[in-house]
Parts: sequence; structure tokens; C-alpha cells
Amino acid sequence: MSVILLCVLSLVLAGSGLHGRNASVSHEYCVLGAGPAGLQMGYFLSRSQRDYIILERNAGPGSFFQIYPRHRKLISINKIYTGRRNKEFNLRHDWNSLLSDRPNLLFQRISRELYPNADDFPRYLSTFVKELGLKVKYGADIGRIKASDFNGNQGYILTDQNGVSYQCSVLLVSTGLWVPQQVDFLGSDLVEGYESIPTDPEEFKDQAVLILGKGNSAFETAQSILGRASRIHLYSPSPVRLAWQTHYVGDLRAVNNELLDTYQLKSLDGLVEGRLEDIAIVRREKDGGKRRTLYLTLTELLDQNGNNISKVTGQNLPGFHTDNFSLRQPYDRVIRCLGFRFNFSIFDGSARPPQSSGARGRLPGITAWYEGRGTPNMFVLGTAAHSRDYRMSAGGFVHGFRYTVRAVHKILEQRYHNIAWPATKLPISQLQSWILRRVNEASGPYQMFGVLGDIILLRGSYCEYLEEFPLQALPQLSALSGRPLTDHGLLVLVMQYGLNRTDTLGPGRAESEWTKAWRPNFLHPVLYYYNTLPTEKDMRQRPVGWPLPRPEAVHHMVEDFLTEWDQPISHSQPLRRFLEHCLQTDLRAFYAESCFLLSLTSRTPPLFCRQGYLRKQGIVGNSHLWQHAREAGLMADHHGDITPGHDTSVSEYLKHADAAVVSAMNFDL
Amino acid sequence: VFDVNAIVSHVLFSVLFNEVRYVHTPAELLRVESAAKQNSDIVVSHIPVLGLPEHRALMEAAFVYGTKYQFVQTTGTLVLKHMGVVDPSSSQARLWFLHCKGVSRRSDPCPSIPMRKPLNTINIHTFLQLMEAPLTEAVLDPSDVDVVHMHLGVPVLYLFSQPQTQQLDRATAQTLALQLRGEVGVVLIHRDSPNVKTSLKYNAAYRLPQEDVKYFTLNSAEGVVKLFKEELLQEHKSEEEEEDEEHWSDLDILDDEVSESVYRDRDLMLDLESVIELTSDTFQITVTQNDVTVVLFYFKWDAVCMAFIQSYIEVADALEGMNGVKLASVNCGEWTDILLCPLTYTSLVSNPYLLSSSAEVMSFLEGDLYSKHMYLTPVRVLGLFSSTHDMGVTSFEEAARLLRGETILGLFAHKEAEQWVEGLSVNLPALLVSRSPGVPYEVYSLPSSSPTDLVSLIKQVELDRFPELTVENLPWYLELEKPLLLLFIGKEDSTESTKALAEIKQPLSSGQLDSFLPCWIHLGRTPVGRSILEKYLGFVPPLPVLVMSQLKTGEEVFLFPPERPLMAKNILQWIHDVENGQEQPAGLIPDGKWGPPVPFFDFLAIMDQEAPTYAAQRAPKIKTGGREDHREQKHVTPNQRQTPHPSPNPQAPRQHSEL
Repeated sequence: MSVILLCVLSLVLAGSGLHGRNASVSHEYCVLGAGPAGLQMGYFLSRSQRDYIILERNAGPGSFFQIYPRHRKLISINKIYTGRRNKEFNLRHDWNSLLSDRPNLLFQRISRELYPNADDFPRYLSTFVKELGLKVKYGADIGRIKASDFNGNQGYILTDQNGVSYQCSVLLVSTGLWVPQQVDFLGSDLVEGYESIPTDPEEFKDQAVLILGKGNSAFETAQSILGRASRIHLYSPSPVRLAWQTHYVGDLRAVNNELLDTYQLKSLDGLVEGRLEDIAIVRREKDGGKRRTLYLTLTELLDQNGNNISKVTGQNLPGFHTDNFSLRQPYDRVIRCLGFRFNFSIFDGSARPPQSSGARGRLPGITAWYEGRGTPNMFVLGTAAHSRDYRMSAGGFVHGFRYTVRAVHKILEQRYHNIAWPATKLPISQLQSWILRRVNEASGPYQMFGVLGDIILLRGSYCEYLEEFPLQALPQLSALSGRPLTDHGLLVLVMQYGLNRTDTLGPGRAESEWTKAWRPNFLHPVLYYYNTLPTEKDMRQRPVGWPLPRPEAVHHMVEDFLTEWDQPISHSQPLRRFLEHCLQTDLRAFYAESCFLLSLTSRTPPLFCRQGYLRKQGIVGNSHLWQHAREAGLMADHHGDITPGHDTSVSEYLKHADAAVVSAMNFDL
Repeated sequence: VFDVNAIVSHVLFSVLFNEVRYVHTPAELLRVESAAKQNSDIVVSHIPVLGLPEHRALMEAAFVYGTKYQFVQTTGTLVLKHMGVVDPSSSQARLWFLHCKGVSRRSDPCPSIPMRKPLNTINIHTFLQLMEAPLTEAVLDPSDVDVVHMHLGVPVLYLFSQPQTQQLDRATAQTLALQLRGEVGVVLIHRDSPNVKTSLKYNAAYRLPQEDVKYFTLNSAEGVVKLFKEELLQEHKSEEEEEDEEHWSDLDILDDEVSESVYRDRDLMLDLESVIELTSDTFQITVTQNDVTVVLFYFKWDAVCMAFIQSYIEVADALEGMNGVKLASVNCGEWTDILLCPLTYTSLVSNPYLLSSSAEVMSFLEGDLYSKHMYLTPVRVLGLFSSTHDMGVTSFEEAARLLRGETILGLFAHKEAEQWVEGLSVNLPALLVSRSPGVPYEVYSLPSSSPTDLVSLIKQVELDRFPELTVENLPWYLELEKPLLLLFIGKEDSTESTKALAEIKQPLSSGQLDSFLPCWIHLGRTPVGRSILEKYLGFVPPLPVLVMSQLKTGEEVFLFPPERPLMAKNILQWIHDVENGQEQPAGLIPDGKWGPPVPFFDFLAIMDQEAPTYAAQRAPKIKTGGREDHREQKHVTPNQRQTPHPSPNPQAPRQHSEL
């Protein structure tokens, strides 16, 4: 399929060359692709009233989802009932919606299924475009992107199939991944691709099927034919990684894992590991050519000279040499489910981002702030930007990249419009409460754990709270956010999974003791305190498995079974003490009476009294609460500590007693 | 008691009256200390009973050393506490040496060393000698060195110094000498002298009184201190420190009074009946339906919010049935989309109270309506207009809205309003200020002006010139940033108190006290005042008592001499004396920094201990860019293991392993 497409593209390019004089359009921002990432960026650009256009080659948004997943079941969770009404919190369990300021523009309007039908997603995206009035140009198939100099800044010129060129000061590439990943081996032409296999299980009736790959698409395919195929084997280099063990949603989700059951219960299906580059698929005629049968063999067993694999003998098959070789039986079909890669081919050399070092080079290499490496003013968004957190976090998925897109937009606003990263100015006495709020409801750091984190710039008696900054870009914080740093240091709030992943379901998997909070398995908030901004070198040399370099002090908030970090002993107080250490100040709260005492007997009363009581926002409390505090020994009882000898109290009490007696008598009369 | 000790001590006491300072309170001692800093050292002694041998010993020591040290004598137990004595009730005489001469900065405290032996002339003499000569240097073998310590019956520690490391050795010796000062003499012996014949395998030695020199090898300075303190001297360990540290060492004890008191109520179901819980669906409707809706935004997990909500419910119960006023709350943990769920605590009190009859005005000033918000402030400000059509009414209402939460305002626009200014030189519209029930009202004429001008006028008249400080009103007065002239009066309204109040009031009108904030605290209504006095003076003197506290400008607290009658002219004289530095401060207000009350739980230290490499930065050599690279490498390795052998070995395919 990709081959055909490429042919079409080259024809288009040739055509545009012939015409020569075509319309040219210019925009400040060009967003390439109207998938979820492109539309998400479109929303932010439209909200900040920027000159932008979203270019889409198909007739509607999210065309990837018109085809994929082939078996039409989305495995992103659409959890509508959370028992909570907090909209921010609920986004933690809504993996399909895009971010917007419309409270009801959520995916649950389209579908109420936990695992919705794939057709619902493009429908949702259309609704999103329509209700927000996003500027999308459909049918503009960009075949060529080249870098160009616009008044000293690098910009990009995009050319579509009609020869129309778009001049873009800033290019936002959200083309997704749609080129199927292939591996070259002998006989790869005998293999069917995930993109084109039939989805009707009946077509697999009583067939032996070999699937190359062990990801979600491989298992999804297996699951669909499980009831019809006679034997399903899955072959790929690495063993199955289960999402519920690795906490990476790109690994095998339990929704698709029925084959694990039939494998382990010995019901004719199985998983095998081996390199893809070493294998070959060969065809042997059976039953006089009536039935096509395919064998998996190794390149080295084939005749090296002729490359002629039409005449395959038993000698060429592993089973000939090893009688119990696992994959010795023939297959009726071999299916390739190896995922997708980024389409680098539309970029001219000058505009082409390098291949990422990770993810087998399938993705473009980008900086920590999502700008292409070596391609200034071109940013990569969405699934294509997953090289930043490949196999680590959720940046390759809608529920993750909707937040990175928002972060990139803030960076754009700062870089091109000098609008600093939004920050909330908080008095230090309210910082703890604010952190607890974020920890208990924020969806960005929760979904993009280890990648996006809140930054708290300490400024003495107040602080600036920046939400969801890309952590790897921390050394460039000032330039990217437009927020200067002072010598008071900074705090970073990150959600993290534990690092020593033991038996996910075994005993001792959960930690409830807050003093052991740094050794958990589950997602929990972590705070890092730095005196000065970490440098790029610090960042490179950070401890193995850490998202950030070693800080001056660190605080892990113990994982919580309910993900509610609101308990006074296990959560709030340890957090307060950590903040007290970082800020070198007492952050305890005091009742007005205590503040009264401290304000008159100390030249600088504690922060809570200065920022609350002395600003006429004291907390009086009531006698019931004071009683508790006194019993706990935290508040002095000023009524009780009258030292005898200095007072005429005894005689005074007597006088009162008299009065009481007298009045009682009067009453009796 | 007329024995020799008593006579000698008393004679010397009179002779040395000027040399030996007598102090009652820690504050007085601090004052002596601050005067002595960088000048001379201080000898402080606590003599529970005068005229006994200990008193005599001290006086004799003072007679000898009086010119060298500042001697301080005390009999009060307060000073004992201040010096860190756990059980001040024991009637033992004690002595401390305060090293004030050597403090590098005047803000540093003087290090104090207690004398551990019983108080007698010989022991005091020995102790003072030891304070003088912590470190001696010699060029002889230990057995030949003659130091004062040996005559004093004190152990001596000898340290040997090599010429090459002399500087370092001397520094170590000095540290040790300081640590062991008063208990052990330290001698540094230079090996470069031919007189020193001690074997090189030892680098230290010690000699207990009446014993021979024992040689040993010194590994660390701490080891020596330990050796002396725990084995050789075998004296009391400091009991005080342990107790203090134990106190909060249990990390799970809440040490925040608000959190703890709210936590103790965790079983209490708050009765929210009188407060409407708003949601984002009901918020708009409720707010528009009522004339005044007070909304409390709260977080369930915020202790301050939850403490506040208790008072809020009480207010709601009190206001139940009042038309047009509704108290509501929003749980910001749930309804994030309502405005910006703020964290600040908004005012409860609707403004202004619309009063429709003189009876209601009465109630507002001192009746039921008054008591409703009594706990907020006793001050009531009432706008008086002859009718609701008066031009000023809207302006006043607007000002009242601006002052919401700061002032309790009433509005009486009625023909009866005239009665309230009758006989006064003020015409309507007017502003009536009631400081407290029973106190005569103040009335001001109300010019027609803009709401903001009205606000500042109201704020101005509201402040009393001679206020009673209460927990509720203090912030308004501290804003003035003036030194306080603070009168403490007792629980009972004695004639003395009334007189004292009147005496201070007297010079008010003449403006002589304008640079001060004259104010008073009634210990009955504001019991915490007693703790303030105690902090200021170290004790609670008979009331009433007048102090001057310069909160912002200085750290000193002055006490109006209790023996002088509290009269206007005496007070003015005293203020004059204080200003001219002729009065000694009676106490100090510490400028302590409010640091963390408890050390934090250091996760990094624990990681380093339990998993040494876990939190360590990577070595610079390994240049793996990100975490993904690292991972990638990891699973390349096992794959390669599974690569079939290059030779067409029939065994090769076996390498395909099943999971």
C-alpha cells in the first residue's frame, strides 16, 4: 500500500513541476494532519487567536482511525463513571477526549462503551472540529516539505498535490505513524500485512497462522481469529511485555490477551522468540499444489548462492535438523503485525528530522521541547513525538499527548509571542495545599508520568506555580517558559511509578508505610528540590531510571491504593516537613489565639500568622477544637497556668462563689 | 543566721554590691550578657539560700576575681530553667561560666559551661583556673610537665605534635581543649625537642590525679572525648537533651495544632444542614436567588478549611431563618469548574445590616444581633440617615460592600435615626461607632463622598485611640507599626485597673503619646495575655502592669517600675527615660527565625544507605543520552543470545527458545 502511495506522490510532484505557477498561501502556523494531535494543537492556536491552518489529505479528521485498529475496538479506556464530579480528575480515566474549555465536549458524548468502537473516534474528532470552529483544510495532500529562509528565520514551504504551496513560519508535524513497519527477510513477499488482512474470522477457518509481532495489533488479530484458526503462533524478538506489569500502555493490554490463556492451558497456540532478520518464509506445495503451505526457516539453511527459494527441500528446514523444533509445522498464513513508522519521505533533506536513536529509528529525533533536531521552528506532535518517552510514558497515545501538545503550545506562545508560561502566584503558606490539590486531581502529570511535571519557582515569601512542564527541558526552563529563576531554588512535582518492579500481583507489591515511600510499585507523587537549575550535564548523568538528576532533597509521597493523597499523617505532614526543610521555615498552621501570642512576642511570627492572621485572615477555631489542641499539648492553656502567689485569685473565687450562692437563693425565693 | 558564713557573705555582698549583679529573670541575665559580650566573661551563680557556705564561697571568689569577670547572682528558679536545669526545685547551689569575651558576633550566644562540683572556694578557684587555661604547650615528657591542672586535681590529656603537622595538631588540641574545658586539662607536647623521649608509637597520653601517665594511640578527637566523658570522668550524661529530642521523634505524631485538632474530630460527622452544599449546577441559581449568599470554598483535606467549617456551621445555625441570607459551601475538591475555587477564606458577614427600628439598632449595638458576631469584633459601625431616600445611602451601601469582612456595619435609614444623634453636635447623616457594649458611642458627621473615601473614613474612625487588644483586632493595630504601650489588667475590674486606664488616657488628647500605640489587654477576656507577659518578663507581676514593647524597631521590652504609682506624669517621665536610654530593659523579644520545627525525613540519605548506587548520578564516561537508550541496549543483548549459530550446525535451530 505504501508503495502505491509513494507512486502517487511522485506523480503529483512531477505534475506540480509542470504547472510551475501555483497559488501560494502563507500562515504563521501550519499543522500537518488533522488527527487528535493536530486538532488538539489547532484548538490551542485558535484559542490564542493565532494565524494557523490544519492541513489534512483526507476528507475528514482522524482518518487513521477509519482503518485502524483493524478489528475496530479501541483499547483506550472511556471510563464515564468515576464516582467523582471533578472534571480534571475524571480526565485521569478518560483516555479519548481532547482538551478544551467546553465541559461537555468529551468523548463520552459519542460513546458510552468502556472500549469504544473505532468509528466513534473520527466522529468525535469531527464534532470537536465543528463545535470549536477549527480551521482545517481537507484534501490537501502535502507531498513535499522544504526548509526556507523567512527574514532570517527558518520556515517551511509545503507543497500539496495540486501544487499549492504553503509558507509556514512554524510547522507543527502531527502526521502520526501510518507507514507499516517492515523487516527485510527472504520470503517477506509471502507475508500479509496487518493493514490488509481480512477481518472476517471465517476466512481463517481451520488455518494455521503465524503472526510476526507480539504487540497489541498482533494479539488483537490473534484474538479475532482465535475461534476459527487451528493454530496461532506469535513470533518476534522480545518476549511479551504485559502493560499491567510494565505500566506502559503500549505493551500488551489485558483486553487483547486471550491467547495467553490458550497458550498456557496448552490449547494449540503459542509464543516464540527469535530474530526477525534471520528468518525466511518459504513455500512448499502440498497435496499436489492445491494447498499453499508456508514454512518458517532460517536464512542460513537456504542455498546461499542462488537465492532461489522455489525449490525448498527438507534440508532447508530447521525441523530436518532438530526433530522437535517448535515451528516445524507448516502455516497457511503468515501475518506481519510489527507496528508503524514515521513517514520521513515527504521531507526534503534540509527539512528532515533525524531518525530517533530509540524505537528502532521509526520515529523522528526531537529535542526535549519537541522541536525537530536540526529543524528549528518545526515541532513534532502526537504519536510521532513518542521518541521522547518511548516505552516509558503515555506520550504516544491520545491521553498522553493531549498534554504535551498543550505544553508545546505554551512554549510557542513564549518563543514567538513573548507570552510567558502561565504561572499562579501563591503565598508560601498556601503551597502545601496547592500541591495536595494537584496531586489529587491533576490529570496531566498523572497521565504523562515521569515526563510532564509541575515546577514551583520559589521566590521567598511567595512562589510561582507552573503546570506541566516537560521535565527533560528543565535546564532550558527560563528560556522556554519566560520565567526567570532566583536563588531561592525550585521544586519539581512529578508522578512516578516505582522502579523496582517486583511481582506485580505478588505479596508485598504495595507499600503503605510512608517512610518507605521511595520503594513502591505504583504511581505516586515525588517532589524534587534544587537550589539551582540542573544543567544539561546533570540531566545526562542523572541516576539510572530517574526522570531528573539527583536533587538537594527528594520527597516521595507514599503510593495510595485509592490514589487519594489527603491523609494528615501519611501524606500531609511528611509533605509539610519536606517543604519546611526546602524553605527553611515553619509551615504549621496556628489558631488566631496562638498567632496573637506569637505576633506580640516575636518580631517575625511564623509564616502562617504573617500570611494569614496578620492579613486579617486568621482562623479562630472554636473551643471544641482548642480543647483538642490543648489535650495534644500543642496549645498552651492560658486559663489553667495561673501561678499562685501573684494573684488574688483565691479570694476572688470566693467572692464569685458567694455571688453564685446568693443568686441561687434569690431564684429559690 | 548569724554564723561566720552569713556574716562574711553579707559583708562581702555589701562591699561588692556594684561588682556582683543580682538578677531575677532570664531577661535580666540576657541583658548582662549582651553588655559583657566581647568584653569579659561572666560567672553566674544560683544561690538558693543566702548566708550559707556556698554564698560565702561565691562572694569570696567574687572578691578575688571580681575585676576579671562579671559576677552574677540569682535566687530565682526562672534563671535556672533558662540555664537548662531540668529540676529547678532542688535547692543545690550552682555555678556556670559564660564565655562572653570570645564570642565573634554580638548576636551569638555566650557558650556556657556548668561547674559540676559542689560550690566551695577551692572548687570555684579550680574551675575558674581551668576556664582560663584550656590548652598549654610543652617541650617535655608528660611525666615532667608541670601544669596547673595537676595541682588542681584534674586529669590531664597530653597530645604529641610532629613539627610537620604542627598546625593541624594544634587545631585538634584546641578543639579538644574546648570540648573538655573545665574537666580535663590539655597539653600539647612538641616532639622536636630532645627532652621528649616518648615512643613514637603513641601519639597521646593522659594522667588522672594521683596516678601515673598512661600512653595510648589517638584515632579521632571524638574517641578521646568519649573516653573521658564516658569512662574516665563517669559523670552525669546530660539528661535534658534526650528528653527534648524524644518529644517529636515519633514521626507520626501531628505537631500542627490545627491539623491535630481537626484530626481528633475525624469521627465527627459535621452537620451541614444549615449550610447548602453547592454544585456547579446549583451554584448560579442559589447565588441569584438570595440577597446575600456567603460561599465557603473548601478542600476536605485542608485542616484549616475543616477547622473553619466548624465555625461556619455555627454561624449558619445562628443565622438560620434570617431572610435573604444564605450560607453555602463548595467542595473545591469536586467542583473545580466553579469560578476559581479560591483558598482564601471569605467573609461570613453580610454587609450592611439593614435595621428597621430603634429596637433593632439597640440589638445591633449590644443585643442579640451584636452577640452573633461578638467573637469577630466588638466594634459596630452604624450609618444613620433620616430616610432611605438620602443620597448618601447608596454610597454607604457600596462602602459597606467594599468593607465586607472587615467591619460590621449597620444601616439605619429611618426617621427615628434623629434620636440617635439628639443632643450631640452632629447632624444626620452620621456615623455612630460603638466600641463595645456599655462604652459611650462616638458619633461623626458623614459627609457625602465617594464609597472609597467612605471606606477610609470608616476604617479610620473604627480604630480606637486606646484600644483593648484582642485576638480579633490585633492585626488592625499592628499595621500601624508603632511601639506598643501595653497595659495588662487583671480579670477583675478592680478600681486600680480603671484608674490605670484613665491615667493613660489622660495624655492621649494632648498628643504626647502619638508616637506610640497605647493599648491594653484584659487578661479575663484575653487569657493568652498572661503568656505574653510571661514571655516578656519571665514572670507575671501583680497587675495592672505597664510595659513598652518595640516590636518592629527594637528587641527590648521595658517594664514600668512596679514601685512607682501608675500616674500620667510618671508614665510620661518613664517614657522619657526609656527614650533616653536611662531605663534598663526588662526583657527581650527574640528575633528568632521560625525554621522547620522538626527535621525532615531525608529520603536521599536512606536511599544512599539502603541502595548505594540508586540515587547516585551516573559517571560522566557513560554517555547514554536518555533512559530509552538504556532500555534499548538491555533488550538487544538477550536477542543476540538467541541468534542462530553462523555455522550450519544442525543444533543451531534449537536456539529458538519458547518463552
